[in-house]
Amino acid sequence: MSMIASLVRAYERLPDAPPFGFSSEKIGFCIVLNSDGTVAEVIDLRGDDKKRSPRMVLVPQAVKRTVGIAPNFLWDKSAYVLGVTAGDGKRTADEHAKFREAHAEWLSDTDDAGLLALLRFLESWRPEHFVPPIWPEEMRDQNIVFALAEEYRERFLHDRHAARQAWNGIGAAGASAPQICLVTGERTATARLHPSIKGVWGAQSSGASIVSFNLDAFTSYGHEQGDNAPVSEAAVFAYTTALNRFLEKGSGHRIQIGDASTVFWADAEKHMAELAESFFAAMFDTGEAEDTSKTEDKLQTKILATQLESIRLGQKLTDVLPEIDPGVRFHVLGLSPNAARLSVRFYWEDDFGQLTANYQKYLKEMAIEPAPDGWPPLWHYLNDLAVLGKRDNVPPNLAGDWMRSILTGTPYPLTLLTMALTRIRADGKVNALRAAILKSVLIRNLNMEAPVALDPAYKDNKGYVLGRLFAVYEQVQRAALGRNVNATIKDKFYGSASATPQKVFRTLDAGSQNHFSRLRKQNPGWAVNLEKLLASVTDLMDPAGDPIPVSLNSAEQAMFGIGYHHQRSEFFRERDDKNTDPTEADE
Amino acid sequence: MSYGIRLHVWGQHALFTRPELKVERYSFDVITPSAARGVLEAIHWKPAIRWVIDRVHVLKPIRFQTIRRNEVGHKAPAGKIKQAMNRGDLAGLQLLVDEDRQQRASTVLVAPAYVIEAHFELTAKAGPDDTEGKHLDIFNRRAARGQCFNQPCLGTREFVAHFELVAPGARLPERDPDMVNAQHGFGGSPRDLGTMLWDIDHTAPGRPSLFFRASLNEGVMEVPASDSPEVLR
Repeated sequence: MSMIASLVRAYERLPDAPPFGFSSEKIGFCIVLNSDGTVAEVIDLRGDDKKRSPRMVLVPQAVKRTVGIAPNFLWDKSAYVLGVTAGDGKRTADEHAKFREAHAEWLSDTDDAGLLALLRFLESWRPEHFVPPIWPEEMRDQNIVFALAEEYRERFLHDRHAARQAWNGIGAAGASAPQICLVTGERTATARLHPSIKGVWGAQSSGASIVSFNLDAFTSYGHEQGDNAPVSEAAVFAYTTALNRFLEKGSGHRIQIGDASTVFWADAEKHMAELAESFFAAMFDTGEAEDTSKTEDKLQTKILATQLESIRLGQKLTDVLPEIDPGVRFHVLGLSPNAARLSVRFYWEDDFGQLTANYQKYLKEMAIEPAPDGWPPLWHYLNDLAVLGKRDNVPPNLAGDWMRSILTGTPYPLTLLTMALTRIRADGKVNALRAAILKSVLIRNLNMEAPVALDPAYKDNKGYVLGRLFAVYEQVQRAALGRNVNATIKDKFYGSASATPQKVFRTLDAGSQNHFSRLRKQNPGWAVNLEKLLASVTDLMDPAGDPIPVSLNSAEQAMFGIGYHHQRSEFFRERDDKNTDPTEADE
Repeated sequence: MSYGIRLHVWGQHALFTRPELKVERYSFDVITPSAARGVLEAIHWKPAIRWVIDRVHVLKPIRFQTIRRNEVGHKAPAGKIKQAMNRGDLAGLQLLVDEDRQQRASTVLVAPAYVIEAHFELTAKAGPDDTEGKHLDIFNRRAARGQCFNQPCLGTREFVAHFELVAPGARLPERDPDMVNAQHGFGGSPRDLGTMLWDIDHTAPGRPSLFFRASLNEGVMEVPASDSPEVLR
């Protein structure tokens, strides 16, 4: 199903969306009908204030009246509805007749109880029946709506489903030049322009369009504007309303991933949809921006967090959340701005169960030891790929493509690997986030195996061993010279060591001899330990098989990064565990 | 389908633009019938025949990628070209790309591959020499040799379509095993592809678009015939 079609469906499930073709009008009274068309009661809807101001009620859009007689659908002023007015009313009889006639025609083939009651009422009504006390004098020239006796507290007659359907049909019949709507497939009047979509990050604040044809290169076969993509007025109203609602801040339907404002919704009944949606939001965003001041919300968040933890640890969705049907259709739409227009970065639609499975796959591939704190949301990873770690510098396209790959479970964009390597080379920072990215790309795109935690015996990949070796050299330098070195060998050599190791490693080896001789004087025990470690790493290398190659390809560079991260964090871990860091003692 | 042909087409990328997402392009999931017709017409077409697409087999998983391209904002007006022809002078005809550049994002299909099943009908312009066998032979011969009038494309001109004739009676090219899942309409429930462009009705006034409700069933998209009620006019 296309994105717009599913947004139209989502609109139908919005709890309090303004329906198509409806407007707010001042309504004074409500006539409550029994289903046989007799009047049960007349209710005064006006307020208690001095002016007795009428209530604003959402009713079928008013017709534009000039000189002709044109009744509204299911509501109108008393002259039309009842044929009574306070003035002399020369045309009152005509107006009432027209109201009656029009409704008889509009509702000719209805079998809805409410609409039938109205028809029966109109058939039997005579203006002479308008007498107090049932019919108050103040009712004259007020707007009047109807309701059914058994449900007037919940809804008016025009709020009934059948009434809305009938009203949509009337609107369509009155429009000119019907065309096939490419969303609904029905033949209706099409919209010329589509309303703007507001709330997309980085787009104009006044809103931007998804569907627009503002230059002639965008048009085909001489069609103008909306005719290039015939979408019915109703569908246009529906999809823009739904999308704007989802894009609102705090709607619970949006997260920001890179430059893509991402909205999501589930195709299910209210409770399940809300659950699935909040779950999705928690998966990809920690939700720290959300204001969880209400204790009820806090409790809810806590429960959610526990359930999410189980999902993250690989449990099945059906076990953790039996109330969510794994077959629920879930939609994720990423929008990003481009020159006053919006472009669809990605659109994904599948079962929620599939989504969870893909999410678990993503986490499993990202798993690395030592792990980053908590479960970093996707944008943390993205920021780590950006210049200066700023969200504005997140490479466009990458965020959307990556998100799409995670959702669909397909290979990641390879730019992810090059971007991570470039950033590491530029600032020399190899942290858990970056190592996790490198690892997951290797696993998913290149079908390689990569160790999750330090594997001292792993020698299948030269990059991994060299990365470890590099970390050992760095540690030797740190042991010998302390931590206050201006430019460590990592700062100086990481880039070239990972890309062209042969150029660098001889220098490093020579340098380490100097470091060792110094360290032996200061702390012979530690020197021996490090020498042993160094030997254990170099032992993994096969002297016959070009242990230090001229260059490493990007996959090997990634393994280099992972090996470096593993080995280096091992040093830190030891320090944490035993708390016997000699450098600490030296200082 | 006695005059049916089958053509295997594939490419690196494809972009079958959805009409409603036309400026910031987003591709349909599967080649549209009109795009498939364009591929066949690039190989063999004469006024005497009209191609009818019967069904499309999808051989590779449906995957998307977003790219940005520079495009031009305007079209060369037909009136000016006519003037220039009458005048015999090209002055004022050019579009300056540098001054009228539009950067547009496109979400394109990655590595698509299809088998197009189609047949042709003779039109009113068919003369006494035009027999179905003759045109069928011409098409099969040309397609087998890789001949075409212009390079066929997958949606937009940048995305070259490679093609190969699937000889009558030969087996279809292998389908990617990654495709055999519920996502691509296997295992009972077809994948709903939404309302898809069937073709443009060039004979009707205003050249309206025709649509049909497309779905992918076991990796195959059936295309309704032009006179069937499934084509929404």
